[in-house]
Amino acid sequence: MASEFIEVAVATDVGNVRQYNEDSIAVDVENGILALADGMGGHRAGEVASRMATERVVAELASPATGMRADADPRGTMLAVERSINRANEAIFAAARADAKYGGMGTTLALAVFRGGRVTWAHVGDSRIYRVRGPRLRLLTRDDSLLRDQVEQGVISAEEASQSHNRSLVTRALGIGEMVVPHLADDAAVPGDIYVLCSDGLNDLVEDTDIELVVGALRANLPLAAELLVQAAKDNGGFDNVSVILARVREPEVAERRGWFARFVAWVTGRAG
Amino acid sequence: MAKLVLSTGGRIVHQRFLEQARVTVGREAGNDIVVEDPAVSRAHAAITAVGNDYILEDLHSVNGTIVNGTTVQRRILQHGDVIALGAFHLRYVDSKSASDIELERTMLISELALSAVLARPDGLPVDPDDLRVPSARTPRTHFPNGYMTWVTGPRAGQARELDRVVATFGAPGEGVAVVTRRPRGYFVTHVEGRVHPRVNGQSIGTETRELHEGDVLEAGPDKLQFHRR
Repeated sequence: MASEFIEVAVATDVGNVRQYNEDSIAVDVENGILALADGMGGHRAGEVASRMATERVVAELASPATGMRADADPRGTMLAVERSINRANEAIFAAARADAKYGGMGTTLALAVFRGGRVTWAHVGDSRIYRVRGPRLRLLTRDDSLLRDQVEQGVISAEEASQSHNRSLVTRALGIGEMVVPHLADDAAVPGDIYVLCSDGLNDLVEDTDIELVVGALRANLPLAAELLVQAAKDNGGFDNVSVILARVREPEVAERRGWFARFVAWVTGRAG
Repeated sequence: MAKLVLSTGGRIVHQRFLEQARVTVGREAGNDIVVEDPAVSRAHAAITAVGNDYILEDLHSVNGTIVNGTTVQRRILQHGDVIALGAFHLRYVDSKSASDIELERTMLISELALSAVLARPDGLPVDPDDLRVPSARTPRTHFPNGYMTWVTGPRAGQARELDRVVATFGAPGEGVAVVTRRPRGYFVTHVEGRVHPRVNGQSIGTETRELHEGDVLEAGPDKLQFHRR
């Protein structure tokens, strides 16, 4: 999948142990909107919550009435992102209260929006967003998880964390309360950068160094990279649902967008793309 | 639910379920678990519940807190851990043990205000990378051990270990192949480029092919032979 600005690949899998896939992915490549969510709640309610979160956020941000304009300033994009997450939260919270079988359902969310040369990202819970720039992978988000809090507060060391049983305890989620406060950030969208959105079924099972290696080595074939990341999580145990979105910021296709004179100059100077 | 079993000379003298946020162990009468042994300090150790974990910490005891033969300042208790207390053994038993970690579902918990519960033993963490939580990969997963040797070209005779999840060969544009390391073997797939990889002279197209001992792989300018140990 590709638009003028980004190339996108997705993969999701139930894993080796669970019965249902409660992760959801929704993307609108044309409008540069990517969403991934990891649901929780009994009787497949997690599936409902994660699907509501991703689909509603993408639909709202893509809508000309409520979404963002391409020329909007980054602050406007952030506000639109925050508003869309809160609307999705309200919808999930209302659905959970209206129907007993959805009681207590909730979901994480990782969201990235590429607009006008910038990328805005947001997350709630322990779904992550990484960026691969050149050969290096960097984690852009901070998990809303008990384990992360414990490590940060020095209660346990990062090394001890692998001994913890608190891996699956998140401290923030959509659908649990009337309001949710997402974490928001934005940056320039640099051509060649690859953004990785994933559920904890990936980063709990595949070390960051291996995510870095797979994305870096297979940057020319993102669908294969996404597939191999999911495969690696399953080969390492696959005891959770696993989902990943990869998005590469494309080089601006300058030649196509230039006038004939610029193209002539580029031809003369040997820089024609 | 987790419980603690106190025994001496193979005889169980006390056991209790971990129902409180904090359980103290020591020689003095005020402790939740009283161990009357001269090697045990008056306030010896404490066990604090954090989420699904029980964290054992030594309370500056004279003889230290020893778990499974190793002195620890702090430890996330694991099913079957034995804490040595003089002539006594305190065993931690968790019916929902570490092996069930894979079945744990995501749940919501209120944000942590631990500073009041557990004191941080050292200063503030400096490098955020030190806070990175490692993956939970089970040590049960075993991977094969193979390598490639170049058959021709400037690197002829050289070897490259296949000790990571993926390894790519070939040249961008011309032909690139990826070799994936999986629990049941090594597999090769086309990544990009004009020419698809060949195994023993035959193009694999867009399929994934398992590699066997002695197979010859051609990827772009690279010609290699696969070996397994």
